[in-house]
Amino acid sequence: MSADAIITARNLKKRFGKNEVLKGLNFAIPAGRIYGLVGHNGAGKTTTLNALLGLTDYEGELTVFGRNPFAERHKLMQDVAFISDVASLPRFLKVRELFDLIEDIHPHFSRDKAQVFLQGTDLKPDLKLKTLSKGMLAQLHLAVVMAIEAKLLVLDEPTLGLDITYRKRFYRRLIEDYMTEERTLIITTHQVDEIASILTDIMFIRDGEIVLDMETEALGTVYTQLVCGSDKADEAAKLGPVFSETRFGQSVMVFENVGRDKLAALGEAATPTLSDLFVALMQRQSAIPGDK
Amino acid sequence: MIEWNESQPIFLQIRQRLVEMILKSQVKPGEALPSIRQASADLAVNPLTVTKAYQSLVDQGVVEKKRGMGMYVSEGAHAVLLEQEREAFLKEVWPRIRAQIEALGLDLKTLMQTEADK
Repeated sequence: MSADAIITARNLKKRFGKNEVLKGLNFAIPAGRIYGLVGHNGAGKTTTLNALLGLTDYEGELTVFGRNPFAERHKLMQDVAFISDVASLPRFLKVRELFDLIEDIHPHFSRDKAQVFLQGTDLKPDLKLKTLSKGMLAQLHLAVVMAIEAKLLVLDEPTLGLDITYRKRFYRRLIEDYMTEERTLIITTHQVDEIASILTDIMFIRDGEIVLDMETEALGTVYTQLVCGSDKADEAAKLGPVFSETRFGQSVMVFENVGRDKLAALGEAATPTLSDLFVALMQRQSAIPGDK
Repeated sequence: MIEWNESQPIFLQIRQRLVEMILKSQVKPGEALPSIRQASADLAVNPLTVTKAYQSLVDQGVVEKKRGMGMYVSEGAHAVLLEQEREAFLKEVWPRIRAQIEALGLDLKTLMQTEADK
Protein backbone atom coordinates (compact mmCIF):
# COMPACT_ATOMS: atom_id res chain seq x y z
CA MET A 1 0.00 0.00 0.00
CA SER A 2 1.10 3.50 -0.79
CA ALA A 3 3.39 5.12 1.74
CA ASP A 4 1.86 8.55 1.35
CA ALA A 5 -1.66 7.39 2.11
CA ILE A 6 -3.48 9.71 4.49
CA ILE A 7 -6.04 7.06 5.34
CA THR A 8 -5.29 3.39 5.79
CA ALA A 9 -7.78 0.73 6.81
CA ARG A 10 -6.83 -2.87 7.51
CA ASN A 11 -9.53 -5.40 8.20
CA LEU A 12 -11.89 -2.68 9.35
CA LYS A 13 -14.94 -4.23 11.00
CA LYS A 14 -18.01 -2.94 12.72
CA ARG A 15 -20.74 -4.87 14.45
CA PHE A 16 -24.08 -3.70 15.73
CA GLY A 17 -25.07 -6.57 18.00
CA LYS A 18 -25.05 -9.69 15.87
CA ASN A 19 -25.19 -7.69 12.68
CA GLU A 20 -21.80 -7.22 11.05
CA VAL A 21 -22.11 -4.07 8.94
CA LEU A 22 -18.44 -3.78 7.93
CA LYS A 23 -16.88 -7.12 7.14
CA GLY A 24 -13.19 -6.34 7.09
CA LEU A 25 -12.45 -3.45 4.72
CA ASN A 26 -8.96 -2.82 3.36
CA PHE A 27 -8.15 0.40 1.59
CA ALA A 28 -5.63 3.22 1.38
CA ILE A 29 -6.41 6.75 0.26
CA PRO A 30 -3.57 9.04 -0.86
CA ALA A 31 -3.64 12.84 -0.63
CA GLY A 32 -4.91 14.93 -3.52
CA ARG A 33 -7.63 12.49 -4.55
CA ILE A 34 -11.37 12.78 -4.92
CA TYR A 35 -12.93 9.50 -3.84
CA GLY A 36 -16.47 8.50 -4.63
CA LEU A 37 -17.99 6.01 -2.21
CA VAL A 38 -21.04 4.31 -3.64
CA GLY A 39 -23.35 1.65 -2.28
CA HIS A 40 -26.98 0.88 -1.56
CA ASN A 41 -28.59 2.29 1.55
CA GLY A 42 -27.37 0.18 4.44
CA ALA A 43 -24.28 -1.09 2.60
CA GLY A 44 -21.96 0.49 5.17
CA LYS A 45 -20.98 3.82 3.60
CA THR A 46 -21.99 6.04 6.47
CA THR A 47 -20.55 3.62 9.03
CA THR A 48 -17.24 3.71 7.17
CA LEU A 49 -17.26 7.50 7.12
CA ASN A 50 -18.21 7.65 10.78
CA ALA A 51 -15.27 5.40 11.60
CA LEU A 52 -12.91 7.68 9.63
CA LEU A 53 -14.25 10.69 11.49
CA GLY A 54 -13.90 9.07 14.89
CA LEU A 55 -17.64 9.06 15.44
CA THR A 56 -17.84 5.33 16.06
CA ASP A 57 -15.54 2.66 17.41
CA TYR A 58 -14.58 -0.32 15.29
CA GLU A 59 -12.45 -3.44 15.10
CA GLY A 60 -9.35 -3.69 12.97
CA GLU A 61 -6.82 -1.01 12.13
CA LEU A 62 -7.60 2.46 10.94
CA THR A 63 -5.32 5.47 10.70
CA VAL A 64 -6.19 8.95 9.46
CA PHE A 65 -3.23 11.34 9.20
CA GLY A 66 -1.32 8.85 11.30
CA ARG A 67 -3.85 8.97 14.12
CA ASN A 68 -6.40 6.60 15.53
CA PRO A 69 -9.58 8.52 14.78
CA PHE A 70 -11.65 7.21 17.67
CA ALA A 71 -8.96 7.76 20.32
CA GLU A 72 -7.71 11.08 18.94
CA ARG A 73 -10.82 12.57 17.48
CA HIS A 74 -10.20 15.98 18.98
CA LYS A 75 -6.79 16.35 17.32
CA LEU A 76 -8.03 14.82 14.10
CA MET A 77 -10.75 17.41 13.75
CA GLN A 78 -8.11 20.10 13.21
CA ASP A 79 -7.39 18.55 9.84
CA VAL A 80 -10.81 17.20 8.93
CA ALA A 81 -14.14 18.77 8.05
CA PHE A 82 -17.34 17.05 7.05
CA ILE A 83 -20.96 17.39 6.07
CA SER A 84 -23.01 14.40 7.14
CA ASP A 85 -26.18 13.37 5.38
CA VAL A 86 -28.18 14.23 8.46
CA ALA A 87 -26.29 17.45 9.09
CA SER A 88 -28.21 20.41 10.29
CA LEU A 89 -27.23 23.92 11.23
CA PRO A 90 -28.97 25.65 14.14
CA ARG A 91 -32.04 27.11 12.44
CA PHE A 92 -32.72 29.85 14.97
CA LEU A 93 -29.42 31.62 14.19
CA LYS A 94 -28.64 34.25 11.63
CA VAL A 95 -25.84 33.65 9.14
CA ARG A 96 -23.67 36.14 11.03
CA GLU A 97 -24.36 34.45 14.37
CA LEU A 98 -23.52 31.07 12.90
CA PHE A 99 -20.10 32.43 11.89
CA ASP A 100 -19.65 33.84 15.43
CA LEU A 101 -20.42 30.43 16.87
CA ILE A 102 -18.02 28.51 14.63
CA GLU A 103 -15.30 31.08 15.11
CA ASP A 104 -15.61 30.36 18.81
CA ILE A 105 -15.49 26.59 18.60
CA HIS A 106 -13.18 25.88 15.67
CA PRO A 107 -9.57 27.11 15.76
CA HIS A 108 -9.08 26.73 12.00
CA PHE A 109 -12.23 28.49 10.84
CA SER A 110 -11.63 31.62 8.76
CA ARG A 111 -14.56 33.96 8.85
CA ASP A 112 -13.10 36.05 6.02
CA LYS A 113 -12.92 33.04 3.79
CA ALA A 114 -16.50 32.01 4.54
CA GLN A 115 -17.64 35.51 3.67
CA VAL A 116 -15.75 35.46 0.39
CA PHE A 117 -17.50 32.19 -0.49
CA LEU A 118 -20.86 33.83 0.07
CA GLN A 119 -20.14 36.82 -2.16
CA GLY A 120 -22.38 36.81 -5.17
CA THR A 121 -24.95 34.57 -3.51
CA ASP A 122 -28.24 35.55 -1.94
CA LEU A 123 -26.93 34.64 1.49
CA LYS A 124 -26.78 37.84 3.50
CA PRO A 125 -25.35 38.03 7.06
CA ASP A 126 -28.64 39.00 8.64
CA LEU A 127 -30.76 36.25 7.16
CA LYS A 128 -32.15 33.70 9.58
CA LEU A 129 -31.22 30.15 8.73
CA LYS A 130 -34.81 28.94 9.02
CA THR A 131 -35.82 31.24 6.16
CA LEU A 132 -33.26 29.75 3.77
CA SER A 133 -34.13 27.29 1.03
CA LYS A 134 -32.57 23.85 0.96
CA GLY A 135 -30.16 24.94 -1.76
CA MET A 136 -29.08 28.04 0.13
CA LEU A 137 -28.53 26.02 3.30
CA ALA A 138 -26.32 23.61 1.40
CA GLN A 139 -24.36 26.57 0.00
CA LEU A 140 -23.94 27.99 3.47
CA HIS A 141 -22.89 24.64 4.87
CA LEU A 142 -20.29 24.22 2.13
CA ALA A 143 -18.98 27.73 2.70
CA VAL A 144 -18.55 26.92 6.39
CA VAL A 145 -16.67 23.66 5.89
CA MET A 146 -14.50 25.09 3.10
CA ALA A 147 -13.55 27.99 5.34
CA ILE A 148 -12.04 25.47 7.73
CA GLU A 149 -8.40 24.87 6.83
CA ALA A 150 -8.91 21.13 6.51
CA LYS A 151 -6.81 18.58 4.67
CA LEU A 152 -9.63 16.08 4.41
CA LEU A 153 -13.21 16.89 3.58
CA VAL A 154 -15.86 14.20 3.92
CA LEU A 155 -19.22 14.81 2.26
CA ASP A 156 -22.01 12.33 2.88
CA GLU A 157 -24.77 12.89 0.30
CA PRO A 158 -24.01 16.64 0.26
CA THR A 159 -26.39 17.50 -2.56
CA LEU A 160 -29.39 15.41 -1.51
CA GLY A 161 -32.60 17.20 -2.41
CA LEU A 162 -30.89 19.97 -4.36
CA ASP A 163 -31.83 20.87 -7.90
CA ILE A 164 -29.38 20.38 -10.74
CA THR A 165 -28.25 24.04 -10.83
CA TYR A 166 -27.31 23.98 -7.16
CA ARG A 167 -25.62 20.60 -7.51
CA LYS A 168 -23.43 21.87 -10.33
CA ARG A 169 -22.60 25.04 -8.45
CA PHE A 170 -21.76 23.01 -5.37
CA TYR A 171 -19.22 20.80 -7.14
CA ARG A 172 -17.75 23.69 -9.10
CA ARG A 173 -17.09 25.50 -5.84
CA LEU A 174 -15.36 22.46 -4.41
CA ILE A 175 -12.99 22.15 -7.35
CA GLU A 176 -12.30 25.87 -7.60
CA ASP A 177 -11.90 26.72 -3.97
CA TYR A 178 -11.07 23.58 -2.08
CA MET A 179 -9.07 21.07 -4.10
CA THR A 180 -5.28 21.21 -4.07
CA GLU A 181 -2.63 18.50 -4.25
CA GLU A 182 -2.49 18.28 -0.47
CA ARG A 183 -6.21 18.06 0.05
CA THR A 184 -8.47 15.06 -0.19
CA LEU A 185 -12.17 14.73 -0.70
CA ILE A 186 -14.45 11.77 0.00
CA ILE A 187 -17.98 11.97 -1.36
CA THR A 188 -20.91 9.61 -1.16
CA THR A 189 -23.78 10.11 -3.55
CA HIS A 190 -26.49 8.20 -5.37
CA GLN A 191 -26.16 10.48 -8.39
CA VAL A 192 -22.90 8.86 -9.30
CA ASP A 193 -22.82 9.50 -13.05
CA GLU A 194 -23.24 13.17 -12.40
CA ILE A 195 -19.92 13.39 -10.59
CA ALA A 196 -18.08 10.59 -12.42
CA SER A 197 -15.70 12.98 -14.16
CA ILE A 198 -14.91 14.77 -10.91
CA LEU A 199 -13.79 11.58 -9.18
CA THR A 200 -10.22 10.35 -9.35
CA ASP A 201 -11.16 7.09 -7.64
CA ILE A 202 -14.27 5.06 -7.14
CA MET A 203 -15.17 2.61 -4.39
CA PHE A 204 -18.26 0.41 -4.40
CA ILE A 205 -19.45 -1.09 -1.12
CA ARG A 206 -21.89 -3.96 -0.95
CA ASP A 207 -23.10 -5.56 2.27
CA GLY A 208 -20.12 -4.32 4.25
CA GLU A 209 -17.53 -5.38 1.67
CA ILE A 210 -15.61 -3.46 -0.96
CA VAL A 211 -16.47 -4.79 -4.41
CA LEU A 212 -14.52 -2.19 -6.38
CA ASP A 213 -11.69 0.20 -5.50
CA MET A 214 -10.10 1.66 -8.59
CA GLU A 215 -8.89 4.82 -10.26
CA THR A 216 -11.70 6.02 -12.52
CA GLU A 217 -9.22 6.37 -15.38
CA ALA A 218 -8.40 2.67 -15.10
CA LEU A 219 -12.01 1.45 -15.31
CA GLY A 220 -11.85 1.26 -19.09
CA THR A 221 -8.84 -1.03 -19.01
CA VAL A 222 -10.69 -3.57 -16.86
CA TYR A 223 -14.40 -3.22 -17.65
CA THR A 224 -16.15 -3.14 -20.98
CA GLN A 225 -19.82 -2.85 -21.72
CA LEU A 226 -20.95 -4.57 -24.88
CA VAL A 227 -24.19 -3.82 -26.65
CA CYS A 228 -24.90 -6.42 -29.33
CA GLY A 229 -27.73 -7.88 -31.37
CA SER A 230 -29.38 -11.17 -30.41
CA ASP A 231 -27.45 -12.95 -33.19
CA LYS A 232 -24.16 -12.31 -31.38
CA ALA A 233 -25.47 -12.76 -27.83
CA ASP A 234 -24.59 -16.46 -27.50
CA GLU A 235 -21.08 -15.90 -28.73
CA ALA A 236 -20.64 -12.99 -26.33
CA ALA A 237 -22.07 -14.97 -23.40
CA LYS A 238 -19.31 -17.55 -23.88
CA LEU A 239 -16.74 -14.88 -22.99
CA GLY A 240 -18.15 -14.84 -19.47
CA PRO A 241 -19.85 -11.51 -18.78
CA VAL A 242 -20.17 -10.48 -15.13
CA PHE A 243 -23.57 -9.05 -15.98
CA SER A 244 -26.03 -9.49 -18.76
CA GLU A 245 -29.50 -8.21 -19.59
CA THR A 246 -31.74 -7.57 -22.57
CA ARG A 247 -32.79 -4.04 -23.35
CA PHE A 248 -35.06 -3.26 -26.23
CA GLY A 249 -34.12 -6.36 -28.16
CA GLN A 250 -30.39 -5.86 -27.66
CA SER A 251 -28.09 -7.64 -25.27
CA VAL A 252 -26.17 -5.50 -22.82
CA MET A 253 -23.28 -7.24 -21.10
CA VAL A 254 -20.49 -6.10 -18.84
CA PHE A 255 -17.14 -7.87 -18.99
CA GLU A 256 -14.18 -7.87 -16.67
CA ASN A 257 -10.69 -8.31 -18.09
CA VAL A 258 -11.86 -9.39 -21.52
CA GLY A 259 -10.00 -7.69 -24.37
CA ARG A 260 -11.95 -4.82 -25.86
CA ASP A 261 -10.86 -5.74 -29.40
CA LYS A 262 -12.44 -9.14 -29.00
CA LEU A 263 -15.68 -7.57 -27.83
CA ALA A 264 -15.72 -4.79 -30.43
CA ALA A 265 -15.98 -7.49 -33.09
CA LEU A 266 -19.36 -8.52 -31.64
CA GLY A 267 -21.01 -5.13 -31.22
CA GLU A 268 -20.56 -1.75 -29.61
CA ALA A 269 -17.91 -1.93 -26.91
CA ALA A 270 -17.28 0.98 -24.54
CA THR A 271 -16.44 1.73 -20.94
CA PRO A 272 -19.58 1.30 -18.83
CA THR A 273 -20.90 4.36 -17.01
CA LEU A 274 -20.47 4.19 -13.24
CA SER A 275 -24.18 3.55 -12.75
CA ASP A 276 -24.17 0.68 -15.26
CA LEU A 277 -21.09 -0.78 -13.64
CA PHE A 278 -22.63 -0.36 -10.21
CA VAL A 279 -25.76 -2.25 -11.23
CA ALA A 280 -23.60 -4.97 -12.80
CA LEU A 281 -21.35 -5.49 -9.79
CA MET A 282 -24.15 -5.27 -7.24
CA GLN A 283 -26.01 -8.13 -8.90
CA ARG A 284 -23.03 -10.37 -9.23
CA GLN A 285 -23.14 -13.59 -7.24
CA SER A 286 -19.83 -13.19 -5.48
CA ALA A 287 -18.81 -9.92 -3.92
CA ILE A 288 -15.09 -10.56 -4.29
CA PRO A 289 -13.80 -10.55 -7.87
CA GLY A 290 -12.43 -13.93 -8.91
CA ASP A 291 -14.00 -15.75 -5.96
CA LYS A 292 -16.87 -17.44 -7.73
CA MET B 1 -22.85 19.98 -19.02
CA ILE B 2 -20.11 18.80 -21.31
CA GLU B 3 -20.66 15.30 -22.58
CA TRP B 4 -17.80 12.84 -22.56
CA ASN B 5 -17.86 9.80 -24.74
CA GLU B 6 -17.28 6.46 -23.11
CA SER B 7 -14.93 5.08 -25.70
CA GLN B 8 -11.93 7.25 -24.86
CA PRO B 9 -10.31 8.29 -21.58
CA ILE B 10 -11.40 11.78 -20.52
CA PHE B 11 -7.85 13.12 -20.41
CA LEU B 12 -7.47 12.37 -24.13
CA GLN B 13 -10.73 14.17 -24.84
CA ILE B 14 -9.53 17.20 -22.89
CA ARG B 15 -6.22 17.03 -24.69
CA GLN B 16 -8.07 17.07 -27.99
CA ARG B 17 -9.95 20.22 -26.98
CA LEU B 18 -6.70 21.94 -26.08
CA VAL B 19 -5.23 20.89 -29.42
CA GLU B 20 -8.26 22.38 -31.17
CA MET B 21 -7.90 25.64 -29.25
CA ILE B 22 -4.32 25.90 -30.48
CA LEU B 23 -5.14 24.86 -34.05
CA LYS B 24 -7.95 27.40 -34.30
CA SER B 25 -5.54 30.02 -32.91
CA GLN B 26 -7.90 30.74 -30.04
CA VAL B 27 -4.72 30.62 -28.01
CA LYS B 28 -1.59 31.71 -29.88
CA PRO B 29 2.06 30.87 -29.22
CA GLY B 30 3.28 32.68 -26.12
CA GLU B 31 -0.24 32.97 -24.73
CA ALA B 32 -1.58 31.15 -21.70
CA LEU B 33 -4.01 28.25 -21.83
CA PRO B 34 -6.75 28.14 -19.17
CA SER B 35 -5.27 27.22 -15.80
CA ILE B 36 -5.70 23.67 -14.56
CA ARG B 37 -8.00 24.86 -11.81
CA GLN B 38 -10.09 26.87 -14.26
CA ALA B 39 -10.32 24.04 -16.77
CA SER B 40 -11.10 21.61 -14.00
CA ALA B 41 -13.97 23.73 -12.70
CA ASP B 42 -15.31 24.58 -16.17
CA LEU B 43 -15.31 20.95 -17.29
CA ALA B 44 -16.27 19.47 -13.90
CA VAL B 45 -13.31 17.13 -14.16
CA ASN B 46 -10.90 16.39 -11.33
CA PRO B 47 -7.60 18.32 -11.45
CA LEU B 48 -5.50 15.14 -11.75
CA THR B 49 -7.16 14.20 -15.03
CA VAL B 50 -6.82 17.74 -16.36
CA THR B 51 -3.16 17.81 -15.33
CA LYS B 52 -2.61 14.58 -17.26
CA ALA B 53 -4.04 16.17 -20.41
CA TYR B 54 -1.78 19.23 -20.09
CA GLN B 55 1.21 17.08 -19.23
CA SER B 56 0.87 15.07 -22.43
CA LEU B 57 1.14 18.34 -24.40
CA VAL B 58 4.09 19.45 -22.30
CA ASP B 59 5.82 16.11 -22.99
CA GLN B 60 5.28 16.70 -26.66
CA GLY B 61 6.87 20.15 -26.41
CA VAL B 62 3.86 22.09 -27.69
CA VAL B 63 3.02 23.54 -24.29
CA GLU B 64 5.41 24.99 -21.73
CA LYS B 65 4.87 24.98 -18.03
CA LYS B 66 6.07 28.16 -16.36
CA ARG B 67 6.44 27.75 -12.65
CA GLY B 68 3.78 29.61 -10.75
CA MET B 69 2.50 31.19 -13.96
CA GLY B 70 0.60 28.51 -15.83
CA MET B 71 0.67 26.71 -19.14
CA TYR B 72 1.80 28.52 -22.29
CA VAL B 73 1.58 27.56 -25.95
CA SER B 74 5.09 27.06 -27.38
CA GLU B 75 6.42 28.66 -30.53
CA GLY B 76 5.85 26.31 -33.43
CA ALA B 77 3.10 24.40 -31.60
CA HIS B 78 0.61 25.14 -34.36
CA ALA B 79 2.74 23.55 -37.08
CA VAL B 80 3.56 20.47 -35.02
CA LEU B 81 -0.06 19.85 -34.08
CA LEU B 82 -1.37 20.55 -37.56
CA GLU B 83 1.01 17.99 -38.99
CA GLN B 84 0.01 15.47 -36.36
CA GLU B 85 -3.72 16.04 -36.76
CA ARG B 86 -3.49 15.78 -40.53
CA GLU B 87 -1.68 12.50 -40.23
CA ALA B 88 -4.24 11.19 -37.74
CA PHE B 89 -7.08 12.23 -40.04
CA LEU B 90 -5.58 10.55 -43.09
CA LYS B 91 -4.77 7.40 -41.18
CA GLU B 92 -7.85 6.96 -39.00
CA VAL B 93 -10.76 9.05 -40.23
CA TRP B 94 -10.37 9.34 -43.96
CA PRO B 95 -10.39 5.60 -44.79
CA ARG B 96 -13.79 5.28 -43.11
CA ILE B 97 -15.24 8.29 -44.90
CA ARG B 98 -13.79 7.10 -48.15
CA ALA B 99 -15.32 3.66 -47.71
CA GLN B 100 -18.68 5.28 -47.04
CA ILE B 101 -18.40 7.49 -50.12
CA GLU B 102 -17.65 4.45 -52.20
CA ALA B 103 -20.48 2.45 -50.65
CA LEU B 104 -22.89 5.26 -51.51
CA GLY B 105 -21.53 5.53 -55.04
CA LEU B 106 -20.84 9.25 -54.74
CA ASP B 107 -18.39 10.85 -57.13
CA LEU B 108 -16.04 13.76 -56.64
CA LYS B 109 -18.15 16.13 -58.73
CA THR B 110 -21.27 15.61 -56.62
CA LEU B 111 -19.32 15.99 -53.40
CA MET B 112 -17.70 19.26 -54.46
CA GLN B 113 -21.04 20.49 -55.76
CA THR B 114 -22.80 20.11 -52.38
CA GLU B 115 -19.94 21.98 -50.80
CA ALA B 116 -20.27 24.84 -53.28
CA ASP B 117 -24.05 25.09 -52.68
CA LYS B 118 -23.55 26.07 -49.07
